[in-house]
Amino acid sequence: MSHRSDTLPVPSGQRRGRVPRDHSIYTQLLEITLHLQQAMTEHFVQLTSRQGLSLEERRHTEAICEHEALLSRLICRMINLLQSGATSGLELQVPLPSEDSRGDVRYGQRAQLSGQPDPVPQLSDCEAAFVSHDLSNRGIDISVFYQSSFQDYNAYQKDKYHKDKNTLGFINLGTSENKLCMDLMTERLQESDMNCTEDTLLQYPDWRGQPFLREEVARFLTYYCRAPTRLDPENVVVLNGCCSVFSALAMVLCDPGEAFLVPAPFYGGFAFSSRLYAKVELIPVHLESEVTVTNTHPFQLTVDKLEEALLEARLEGKKVRGLVLINPQNPLGDIYSPESLMKYLEFAKRYNLHVIIDEIYMLSVFDESITFHSVLSMKSLPDSNRTHVIWGTSKDFGISGFRFGALYTHNKEVASAVSAFGYLHSISGITQHKLCQLLQNTEWIDKVYVPTNCYRLREAHKYITAELKALEIPFHNRSSGLYVWINLKKYLDPCTFEEEWLLYCRFLDNKLLLSRGKTYMCKEPGWFRLIFADELPRLKLDEWNMRRFCDVLQEQKEALIVKQLEDAMRE
Amino acid sequence: MFTLPQKDFRAPTTCLGPACMQDLGSSHGEDLEGECSRKLDQKLPELRGVGDPAMISSDTSYLSSRGRMIKWFWDSAEEGYRTYHMDEYDEDKNPSGIINLGTSENKLCFDLLSWRLSQSDMQRVEPSLLQYADWRGHLFLREEVAKFLSFYCKSPVPLRPENVVVLNGGASLFSALATVLCEAGEAFLIPTPYYGAITQHVCLYGNIRLAYVYLDSEVTGLDTCPFQLTVEKLEMALREAHSEGVKVKGLILISPQNPLGDVYSPEELQEYLVFAKRHRLHVIVDEVYMLSVFEKSVGYRSVLSLERLPDPQRTHVMWATSKDFGMSGLRFGTLYTENQDVATAVASLCRYHGLSGLVQYQMAQLLRDRDWINQVYLPENHARLKAAHTYVSEELRALGIPFLSRGAGFFIWVDLRKYLPKGTFEEEMLLWRRFLDNKVLLSFGKAFECKEPGWFRFVFSDQAHRLCLGMQRVRQVLAGKSQVAEDPRPSQSQEPSDQRR
Repeated sequence: MSHRSDTLPVPSGQRRGRVPRDHSIYTQLLEITLHLQQAMTEHFVQLTSRQGLSLEERRHTEAICEHEALLSRLICRMINLLQSGATSGLELQVPLPSEDSRGDVRYGQRAQLSGQPDPVPQLSDCEAAFVSHDLSNRGIDISVFYQSSFQDYNAYQKDKYHKDKNTLGFINLGTSENKLCMDLMTERLQESDMNCTEDTLLQYPDWRGQPFLREEVARFLTYYCRAPTRLDPENVVVLNGCCSVFSALAMVLCDPGEAFLVPAPFYGGFAFSSRLYAKVELIPVHLESEVTVTNTHPFQLTVDKLEEALLEARLEGKKVRGLVLINPQNPLGDIYSPESLMKYLEFAKRYNLHVIIDEIYMLSVFDESITFHSVLSMKSLPDSNRTHVIWGTSKDFGISGFRFGALYTHNKEVASAVSAFGYLHSISGITQHKLCQLLQNTEWIDKVYVPTNCYRLREAHKYITAELKALEIPFHNRSSGLYVWINLKKYLDPCTFEEEWLLYCRFLDNKLLLSRGKTYMCKEPGWFRLIFADELPRLKLDEWNMRRFCDVLQEQKEALIVKQLEDAMRE
Repeated sequence: MFTLPQKDFRAPTTCLGPACMQDLGSSHGEDLEGECSRKLDQKLPELRGVGDPAMISSDTSYLSSRGRMIKWFWDSAEEGYRTYHMDEYDEDKNPSGIINLGTSENKLCFDLLSWRLSQSDMQRVEPSLLQYADWRGHLFLREEVAKFLSFYCKSPVPLRPENVVVLNGGASLFSALATVLCEAGEAFLIPTPYYGAITQHVCLYGNIRLAYVYLDSEVTGLDTCPFQLTVEKLEMALREAHSEGVKVKGLILISPQNPLGDVYSPEELQEYLVFAKRHRLHVIVDEVYMLSVFEKSVGYRSVLSLERLPDPQRTHVMWATSKDFGMSGLRFGTLYTENQDVATAVASLCRYHGLSGLVQYQMAQLLRDRDWINQVYLPENHARLKAAHTYVSEELRALGIPFLSRGAGFFIWVDLRKYLPKGTFEEEMLLWRRFLDNKVLLSFGKAFECKEPGWFRFVFSDQAHRLCLGMQRVRQVLAGKSQVAEDPRPSQSQEPSDQRR
């Protein structure tokens, strides 16, 4: 029962009136149940702390403990039920985990102290309500971490916006999915070459991936990454998604507690993947938005910063095993030049670090004037045995539901060790066939898919950036990926992560899902990632996305003014 | 007692400084032959020592210590299977290739399945299937799974979709359950002989061990049949684990059993479940062969058919299409548990064990088609399994070889003890090699942690012509008249593959 804490912040009911739909009954019930849980816990603590040492007393205590277990399980279940009722109206939120302090209570305290309407009542300890005595500690950790990270996403899954059926549903500008070319993909996947049910596809596969698919991946990467020599299918391992590849790599390259360096802000999924199974720490190499003498452009990654972060980590006694690079970068959309890339790789070689390069957005560079250079295009790698490349179809082909990710590594040991995870991250033979057909059709990709996709991305990007300019919102203007990295600092007062989180919640209240900088380990509060790769009609014609977005910012602005007035009057 | 690492992954590695790493790195581009010859020298480490980083040779300088152990799993477990793949039997192209009677796959019904999967209702493509979805599995599929299991497991009450989690196969499920139910180093009890790959599934990510409940072939005392599982044996194994300081968190039961081909009666099941409840153990019941009971007289009962489970919150059932629908390459498995905490925790890991939306759609269509399953697939599948089973068991009887098999699963548990002069596992391995040299791949008892040397698993669910040829080769070996010369060639003296079902 170690996960249960004594203090249980009671949610404030202040914002009941502001809820889009009436779920207040759940909130009230939930409040009562949480009170009950607290009271019960205290009661049992008193009961059991009075224990003596005699056999009878101990037996008595044991009986009490059993009762307690039963009651707390029942209450947990009640809370979970209420939670699911309440979250559909998003009255209750478990805070997203910040790396340093999960379930940070400060937000709630602050909101209560300041007398502000707390946009989302804090239930840091209702995290504990998710868990039971049936799980191991790591099971609890996994469950809580997942719940707190994906609760908003799950709420969205249950209540999606639809232009006719559910106009009040969630609009998702947070999940990096490319929905612009669903028509092309749907059509392509329905063609007759996609369907194959041969015996061999129904039998146990080669766990590294079917040979035909690995050959195709090698050919595809040779061509699209402009590799100087043909890539070898034996260096390819195919798993069900890039996060699986990353997780497997973290397992085989690090022991628990060891670490990777990652320039921050970076894709939050890595933090997730390294923690759930592998227990590997990600050490951020903090980048700054400000342009200075050494920082010639915003969020610039330099070798100095890498070295500094590495030395600092070593001083703290951490064992750093590698460097993770994302190129094109997520969430910045930056592309590394071959020269910078080479410097980073040389830095890694100098310190015997592995380099994991995630190039999952490599075909989503939509400005023709910019050339993406894959690490596989280099004539010679400084340390090819420690350079591991990840690519998948989720982003570039907009089929995240396919579950496909590939590893390319020259290191046979790493490839073998990752292959052992083939059992646990395998892809259906039928799917492998479809993927092979998809990647094989270079003509369709070159003449139809990529040009259309890039055109649509460009248009959507143009639209969203024009809107942002009109709103005078600064953003990091890049031409790759499915997202814009925007700066909402001016809506935060004071400029803290708490305020960032509160703004995030305000978006949620208005059924708008965005990703906030903290989950990318961004050092400066106020940054958000906005996904624009949604169908233009949804983005534009309905004007729902942007209208809601503007409404929230307007609301925030007004709240800021009110707050400033209050502060002034208090003085 | 344990197959698994006795030490924590964190155990210090044989020290590898940066300089030493580079040295080793340069020797890396060795050719295949070098690789093979090294394998030869590298004896199968005594399983007990697997987790000892020193055991896992230090020639791998790029990996972490757990990475080295993981690689060892891959190298050793896959070797035999790779030998088979390099020389696979093909009626026309490679008639002298290896016949695989080792891997538990049902190859009898691909015609039926191929036909069903290519029907037009299977080819649906729509955006929602191509995008991120509920990690527990699409709701439409979970609903179908719940209905399917309610019907085929004869559940007294309808099963609920919220208790279903869908993943890419049973292996992933073992891994996820091990991770969320146990801390590293804790254990599950498992009666032996058992499907050996579970060892790897629960170890790779979960880093947990299996505590064996050894069963004997001899019928003594209270036993009424060979390899009988009793509560006394469970209790004893549990006590033994405790005395060694190992914390046991659960019990794994496979029913129908692999490799025994046996089923537990409802009374037996009830006893085991009550035992587990008494010790607050989780029970994972693997029912992956539940529809592959081809003898009507075998009264198979799913644990989900019991009127009342002793401890429903700690009873977790798994099923998959690999065996019952003969599609091990499809990668579809499912968990049924009433425990929402467990379901949620497993679902939290599903990000890493997801399967394509299109396949999820196809699975839902398949499971929904009760008419085809009941009227076409199951009767035909059972008839073919029975015919193949009859053939192999007749052959064995003619050879005077004792065996166990009651009409469930794809395999017969064969007693070849009389062919081992000294009755050791070394001799068992030698016999296995002689089979492989004579181009027939079998699984030997040690891979199932069988206590007695000399047991082999014969998989019979293959096409008649391959089965006949396979049995012919078996006969040759047992008669001491192998066609292939006795001297073992390097490429064939590799380790067996029983890491797949």
